[in-house]
Amino acid sequence: MKLVFGEGSCGIAAGARKVRAAVEKLNADGAVGVGITGCIGMCYLEPIVDVYDGGTLVKRLVKVDEAAAPALYEAAKTGDLAPLAKYEISADDREFLEKQTRIALRHCGLIDPEDIAAYEAVDGYKAIRKVLAMTPEDVIAEIKVSGLAGRGGAGFPTWFKWNAARNAKGEQKYLICNADEGDPGAFMDRAVIESDPHSLIEGMLIAAYAIGATKAFVYVRAEYPLAIVRLEKALAAAKKAGLLGENILGSGFSCDIRIKAGAGAFVCGEETALIESLEGNRGMPRLKPPFPAEKGYTQAPSNINNVETFANVAWIILNGGAAFAAMGTETSKGTKVFALTGKIKRGGLVEIPMGLTLRDVIFGIGGGIRDGGTFKAVQMGGPSGGCIPEHLLDTKIDYKALGATGAIMGSGGMVVMDSHTCMVNMARFFLDFTAKESCGKCVHCRIGTKRMHEILTRITEGKGKEGDVELLQELCNGIKAGALCGLGQTAPNPVLTTIRYFRDEYDAHIREARCPAHECAALKKYEIDPAKCKGCTMCAKKCPVGAITGTVKQPHVIDQSKCIKCGQCAATCKFGAIVVG
Amino acid sequence: MDTEMITLEIDGQSVSVPAGTTIFEAAKTAGIDIPNLCYLKELGPYGACGVCVVEVENCPKMLRACSAKVAPGMVVHTKSEKALATRKLALELLMGDHDGDCQGPCKLNCPAHTDCQKYVKEIAEGRFADAVATVKETFPLPAAIGRVCPHPCEKACRRNLVEQPISIAQLKYFAADQVRKDGNEHPIKVAAPTGKKVGIIGGGPAGLTAAFKLAQWGHMVAVYDQMPEMGGMLRYGIPEYRLPKAILKAETDAIEALGVNFINNFKIGRDADFAKFRSWFDAVIVANGAWKSTAMRVKGEDLKGVWGGIDFLRAVVTGEKPDIGERVAIVGGGNTAMDACRTAVRVGAKEVFVVYRRTRKEMPAEDVEITEAEEEGVKFKFLYAPDEILGKDGKVCGMRLQVMELGEPDERGRRKPVPVPGKFEEIALDSVIAAIGQRNDPEGFADLPQTPKGTIAADEGNFSTTLPGVFACGDTVNKGAGIAIGAIAQANEAALAVNAYLRGGEYRPVKPILSERNLTEKDFEDRPRIARAVMPQRPAEERKHDFKEVNLGLSVEAAQAEAKRCLECGCHDFEDCKLIRYANLVQADTQRLRGDFHPGFTEQKLVTIERNQRKCVLCNLCVRVCAEQAKQGLLGLVGRGFKTVIKPEFQNPAATAVCKDCHLCADNCPTGALKIIG
Ligand SMILES: Cc1cc2nc3c(=O)[nH]c(=O)nc-3n(C[C@H](O)[C@H](O)[C@H](O)COP(=O)(O)OP(=O)(O)OC[C@H]3O[C@@H](n4cnc5c(N)ncnc54)[C@H](O)[C@@H]3O)c2cc1C
Ligand SMILES: Cc1cc2nc3c(=O)[nH]c(=O)nc-3n(C[C@H](O)[C@H](O)[C@H](O)COP(=O)(O)O)c2cc1C
Ligand code: SF4
Ligand code: SF4
Ligand code: SF4
Ligand code: FES
Repeated sequence: MKLVFGEGSCGIAAGARKVRAAVEKLNADGAVGVGITGCIGMCYLEPIVDVYDGGTLVKRLVKVDEAAAPALYEAAKTGDLAPLAKYEISADDREFLEKQTRIALRHCGLIDPEDIAAYEAVDGYKAIRKVLAMTPEDVIAEIKVSGLAGRGGAGFPTWFKWNAARNAKGEQKYLICNADEGDPGAFMDRAVIESDPHSLIEGMLIAAYAIGATKAFVYVRAEYPLAIVRLEKALAAAKKAGLLGENILGSGFSCDIRIKAGAGAFVCGEETALIESLEGNRGMPRLKPPFPAEKGYTQAPSNINNVETFANVAWIILNGGAAFAAMGTETSKGTKVFALTGKIKRGGLVEIPMGLTLRDVIFGIGGGIRDGGTFKAVQMGGPSGGCIPEHLLDTKIDYKALGATGAIMGSGGMVVMDSHTCMVNMARFFLDFTAKESCGKCVHCRIGTKRMHEILTRITEGKGKEGDVELLQELCNGIKAGALCGLGQTAPNPVLTTIRYFRDEYDAHIREARCPAHECAALKKYEIDPAKCKGCTMCAKKCPVGAITGTVKQPHVIDQSKCIKCGQCAATCKFGAIVVG
Repeated sequence: MDTEMITLEIDGQSVSVPAGTTIFEAAKTAGIDIPNLCYLKELGPYGACGVCVVEVENCPKMLRACSAKVAPGMVVHTKSEKALATRKLALELLMGDHDGDCQGPCKLNCPAHTDCQKYVKEIAEGRFADAVATVKETFPLPAAIGRVCPHPCEKACRRNLVEQPISIAQLKYFAADQVRKDGNEHPIKVAAPTGKKVGIIGGGPAGLTAAFKLAQWGHMVAVYDQMPEMGGMLRYGIPEYRLPKAILKAETDAIEALGVNFINNFKIGRDADFAKFRSWFDAVIVANGAWKSTAMRVKGEDLKGVWGGIDFLRAVVTGEKPDIGERVAIVGGGNTAMDACRTAVRVGAKEVFVVYRRTRKEMPAEDVEITEAEEEGVKFKFLYAPDEILGKDGKVCGMRLQVMELGEPDERGRRKPVPVPGKFEEIALDSVIAAIGQRNDPEGFADLPQTPKGTIAADEGNFSTTLPGVFACGDTVNKGAGIAIGAIAQANEAALAVNAYLRGGEYRPVKPILSERNLTEKDFEDRPRIARAVMPQRPAEERKHDFKEVNLGLSVEAAQAEAKRCLECGCHDFEDCKLIRYANLVQADTQRLRGDFHPGFTEQKLVTIERNQRKCVLCNLCVRVCAEQAKQGLLGLVGRGFKTVIKPEFQNPAATAVCKDCHLCADNCPTGALKIIG
């Protein structure tokens, strides 16, 4: 039997490598097969170990720690898996995967990302072979039939961009893969590169062939070292196999792919800023038009797509555009990957066909709210997106339908919030991010987001003024209209949607200096319930400003004028006597 | 190859331009200037400022005119509601983050907005004639006003936050005296005659200033005054020891020399009635000042030996040698009281009292005046009010004073004096001078509408009256008597209004939108302290016996050193600054979007260019011209978001060596962030 360790970034962070090392130490004789794979997408269950018998998966083990190593080794050696029962994935958790439809993630967590043969064993590099026999026009036509739209956020039809780049005049054309993935909380692209780098390479080769590019770049976020290493290995292997470089597979088509580590700024994910950064300049957006298809990298025609977009391409070529288009809705075809995070029971990577509802994803796949909490809203698309409240949970996952709520499909960030999340504070958090990440080029974004953040901060501190909400709305609309690039144009979305759906929370902060979710530190009030207080004096000892007084075994009191709302007392009290209001 | 021509509509005009032209350039051909801060034709569009946004019909997005290309049939609105709102927001965001002073606090706080900073600098540089010309852009009496002005400019001077204000007023009269001595005053240009006639009643600072301005604009101006000489209160109120008549005369002569007709000893209401006077002119300015002493309204006021303050002063000036005896009391605490008491000392009174109903702290007179009066032996009786003037044989023999105490503060925050019941005091006197105020004399001007106070009612903006072609300004209007520079400020507005009226238009002043810094002592902690110039004065014992000028004037060295203390608060680029021009154009509210300021610092020098980050709008033009036109690439953006700044490689000595000092960056900076020094 063979033990396959899930070694994506999250598996490794959870200790997968340590468990594997422990097993390998016992396995000096090699009695047991040991392998690795990428990320299956169930982050909350890592480390995950799959047990294979021959080619079939016989058991999936979750939350496997180092202590389990002997048992793992024994079981794999003897074939008696019964002792591993306590690690076996529950039926509930299996549902998480079973309810998904995986195309972009089709190999993730199933094959060894560091072995080109493993990719080829699952029809890898068959699509490029097929494509090399087609005309570029036919390839573009097939993508058109599929209805594939850009997964990087904007959702622009992929065939259209390819076609524009193909038709643009220019000797040298470039293909660029956007793997900057700057949305905090998103990790779909990382998972694809770490778990299935060859499918990205194959998708890129097909695109390069279609548009006539002979040079390509993958612009990878610098904080993704494992992805870079795996991609480097994959590129080397592909090159060795004649799938990359000069005269690919003897077809006469040549294409080289190089990796460029990102500059560490969110805005570098914006296509024109990315191009500036690739050129060695400060990552700042350019004016559009001209679009990259016309004047991109070094002013030459360039096409830029997202990792997930490319990850769908080989599948479409092999299965036909129609098969892809068969999934989804009128306006949104195929599947979409989401990084489901926040107060969700089962978080991780979720790929579903377009057209499912948010409820299907959050409750059906994600299992609803963690710790028995109540759902409040979901933030779609990270800092560029918006929140969607409970009453719109039946909204379909569809570019148009999501757009109508004020949120966006986005690149796949899906952060679930429960009743303890303050929506004003959440908007403030995202504005803090965008204000800091603004490249500083244009006025509306550079100063506008800063002012919005200042206003949101004063509201969360109970210092908001009547009229602040209207001022925020005015700024939002003005920034949307005036900002140069997508960062600024979308930065107001979290504010606009929270105002739209949770105006009462803004008003409570402004008019009553009250945070309905009890999250805003400055508005919290810590009080001791005399009925519960045992007079243990623990809290008084912990309070950094000496705001708590009382005699032993008598109920204590907090002097509100001294309290700095640090929350230490509440964390210390063993009797739950400290009430947070 | 012929380029295809494209026809589109911009603000309702049809425009034809070659394909590939930007909306900005297309609009320009139609004479429409679209505001822009980061665009330079030679460098192409950049897209940072967002000020050039325009709305295009059937286009959901706002377009940047500097980069968007024309298309056939396009309908562009450069001033639609949405375009204006977006443009205004950009400018309000920029202004809210702009930590700069458009103008120095001195200029802003001078009622007439005299360009103090400019002439102070000219004096510092030894360009005294230029300095006088600068003052004369605002008013014609630098030597006189420099001597008497209570200088609100100095109260606002930033140097107060370091140690003491610049001696702005003294510098002004220093320059005027110097230029008079050197005889090198710049000639004043007079426009071609317009053929319009303006009659001005009153040759005080208000009437003279208006005459000076209107004459320069080519109008035929005549000033009528009841007194034998021009100057108004500057001549007949303010004593010789503060402002020598000869100096004033030299300045009024210069006005006459411009072609203004001076007609003295002519009193409206006596020598011609007002209606008749009006009929002689196309426009009239009434600037007859406040020439009636306010009565004390106490018993005994009609006794011989009771004087009105200004009447006493005028009598001294005109050589009447008023007999005030040996013991004199002056009632009042303002500048007239100070002039009267010090004049009384000079005409031979042995004991001079100033009776004031509050304390020294509340006295409206300038502090130096009070000190100088004390030095000259004047005794102050605070918290006394006249109750009755006592007489013997129809002549003053004393005064009974009511003892007062300070009660509740009034609406201006000054504590109100209230009588202490039953407490009185008597002093023996030969005369009493009532210097408690003066007002205008409405006699002869019955046609003109009055305020409830009895002053002439004039529009506060353009100083028109309800009578067509009749304007009124100075001490005679609205709030009544004030200070000379206040009267001058009004006269300047009235002159503009008259000029517009004569040309068939109407003048309405607009309050300009300006950026102002809010600073404290802390901001100047690291400034070296430099003492303010000390004005040399004649000793009290000597000066109290004659009317010769008390102050001796600053030496050239002292004046220049003093002028060099100036912090040069106002922006060097104010006249050319695009930011403030557009802020005014869209009426941007500079305070609405105030918050933290972006990081700012000065003192980075690249050869002769000083960079002030606080005024930078990050248009990036300097970076771009340096790289693309000067081919040096010495500048770059550093940091992200709100903290982004432009940084020259100044730490690197090689950068200074490579900088060609071509000034392209400074020339193209749309604001005052870059300054050429040295
Ligand atoms: C004693 C005293 C001291 C002062 N000290 C200072 C000082 O130190 N600094 C300062 O800034 N200000 C001072 N002021 C105030 C200042 O002098 C006045 O604010 C200023 O002169 C007002 O200018 P004006 O042109 O409006 O009026 P005025 O200077 O009063 O001029 C009005 C002119 O109109 C003439 N006139 C009046 N009626 C008629 C008529 N019917 N027909 C023809 N002519 C007429 C008068 O003769 C006079 O020349 C002082 C005022 C007084 C009284
Ligand atoms: C501020 C900003 C950040 C972006 N970050 C990313 C990113 O991290 N990854 C990405 O693929 N696209 C990102 N985009 C979208 C890209 O500009 C571009 O639309 C996308 O890469 C095109 O690929 P697609 O058509 O395959 O979606 C970002 C856009 C903006 C405005
Ligand atoms: S919108 Fe923001 S990130 Fe985009 S160009 Fe403007 S300042 Fe830079
Ligand atoms: S320091 Fe100079 S510019 Fe500044 S207020 Fe004083 S005189 Fe004016
Ligand atoms: S200093 Fe440079 S970037 Fe700043 S406003 Fe001036 S030209 Fe523009
Ligand atoms: S964005 Fe067009 S001029 Fe600045």
